[in-house]
Amino acid sequence: MLDFFIRYMDLLLPICLLVLGYIIGGMLERRHFRSLKARELRFLVLPAVTFRNMPGHETAKGELVMGSAVISVDYFKRFLAILRNIFGGRVSSYESLVDRARREAILRMKEQASRMGADIIVNMRIETSAIGNAANSRRSVGSVEAIAYGTALVPKRAEISGAASEI
Amino acid sequence: MARPLCPKGQRFQVRPVKFRPRVADDSVNVSKGNPLREFCLLFAGLAGVVFAGYMLLALLTSWAIKSLPLEAETWLGEMMVRDIPGKASPALQKRLDALLEHLPKDSPLRKYKFRVYLLDTDEANAVALPGGAIVVYKGLLNMLDSENELSMVLGHELGHFAHRDHLRRLGKGLVLNAAMWLIFGKVAGSEQLLFPLLAGLDSRYSKGQEEAADAFGLRLLYLRYGHVAGATEFFRKILEKDDYSRFKYLLSTHPDPKSRMEHLKILAQRNGWPEGRPAPLGPDLKALLEKNDSKK
Repeated sequence: MLDFFIRYMDLLLPICLLVLGYIIGGMLERRHFRSLKARELRFLVLPAVTFRNMPGHETAKGELVMGSAVISVDYFKRFLAILRNIFGGRVSSYESLVDRARREAILRMKEQASRMGADIIVNMRIETSAIGNAANSRRSVGSVEAIAYGTALVPKRAEISGAASEI
Repeated sequence: MARPLCPKGQRFQVRPVKFRPRVADDSVNVSKGNPLREFCLLFAGLAGVVFAGYMLLALLTSWAIKSLPLEAETWLGEMMVRDIPGKASPALQKRLDALLEHLPKDSPLRKYKFRVYLLDTDEANAVALPGGAIVVYKGLLNMLDSENELSMVLGHELGHFAHRDHLRRLGKGLVLNAAMWLIFGKVAGSEQLLFPLLAGLDSRYSKGQEEAADAFGLRLLYLRYGHVAGATEFFRKILEKDDYSRFKYLLSTHPDPKSRMEHLKILAQRNGWPEGRPAPLGPDLKALLEKNDSKK
């Protein structure tokens, strides 16, 4: 039996990795989505908008905040994407990666803003890039990075209370 | 002049929007649907395409090898022999020539100029190369105890020439590799999965070729000695040597030794070829083996 495994390593190893990628990768992804949802609810009080300014906002200071996240592809997703590359169409296996990266990046940006005492982030932008430059290459693992940045506006009231708490 | 944009003919107006924070809807940017289902569909599609292409290539190669002239084959063979570090062996050549004399007068093999090379490795194997070159591995020679066994091995390889298997394997391997490279290039992992599957598919086909070559070798053995002693000895030794399991030969290109032995026995019985006494190895062959032993 062991002999069989050694003999057909070339065949069995990718199958093992595929199964592993599907089960564990899927598990981690579901967990991440749950965590994203929970944290998004928590940060509902700190909206991030794409407006350049907020009329009527009593701003004490505005500061650049940013958050970035890198999410890696698993073996199963990569295999699916390779198959997709042959036939064409939506690479749905990568869509969830990009979505996770974007939302995670926004949440991290909000985290930073909330530590500053900001109550809103204006002029938010999101950018995405591939890391490793070879998302489909055989020997390297592709990842996607999303970076979200914007201007956190700290209201006058909050700054006073923030300063007070520092003392 | 303003364009009427709204259905009631009102002018379009920017109204202050009331901002209401809400959780992002995660169903928009991620496609719904089971990835496993997508995987199965795509994989089946790919397998279908590759299978169809492979079958087409198999047809093409079998057509091509029938019409490949001997000169081209010899040229190909010369190219390949150059890469193999085997040495021409006069002792083996003598045995082969003796066998060749017993080929039927109208055999297509008469057109070939056969040469034997000895390759100094421990692996027990022998291969037929295009153009009439037979390479015998020293590991195989070490397992032999009689002239008859050697003749059976050489006859088996001659059988491959007679059925043009040596070209078939070469052509198909070449074409398959080229196709895989064209489809996947360097940027893929899926050929890792497909290649062994195709090889498994191919194994049944090549098992038939091996049995046909065995039958050819057996007939030649009978014509040479008048009996078929030594035909199955080699397989019996393989069985004794490694721990036998049928499982191991499931995907192999060669049938398992047990069924090859049985196949040969049935053939000999059906043709009424008797079992005789094997002739021991000649001194020149023994010298080859002893040289090997002293080196160790």
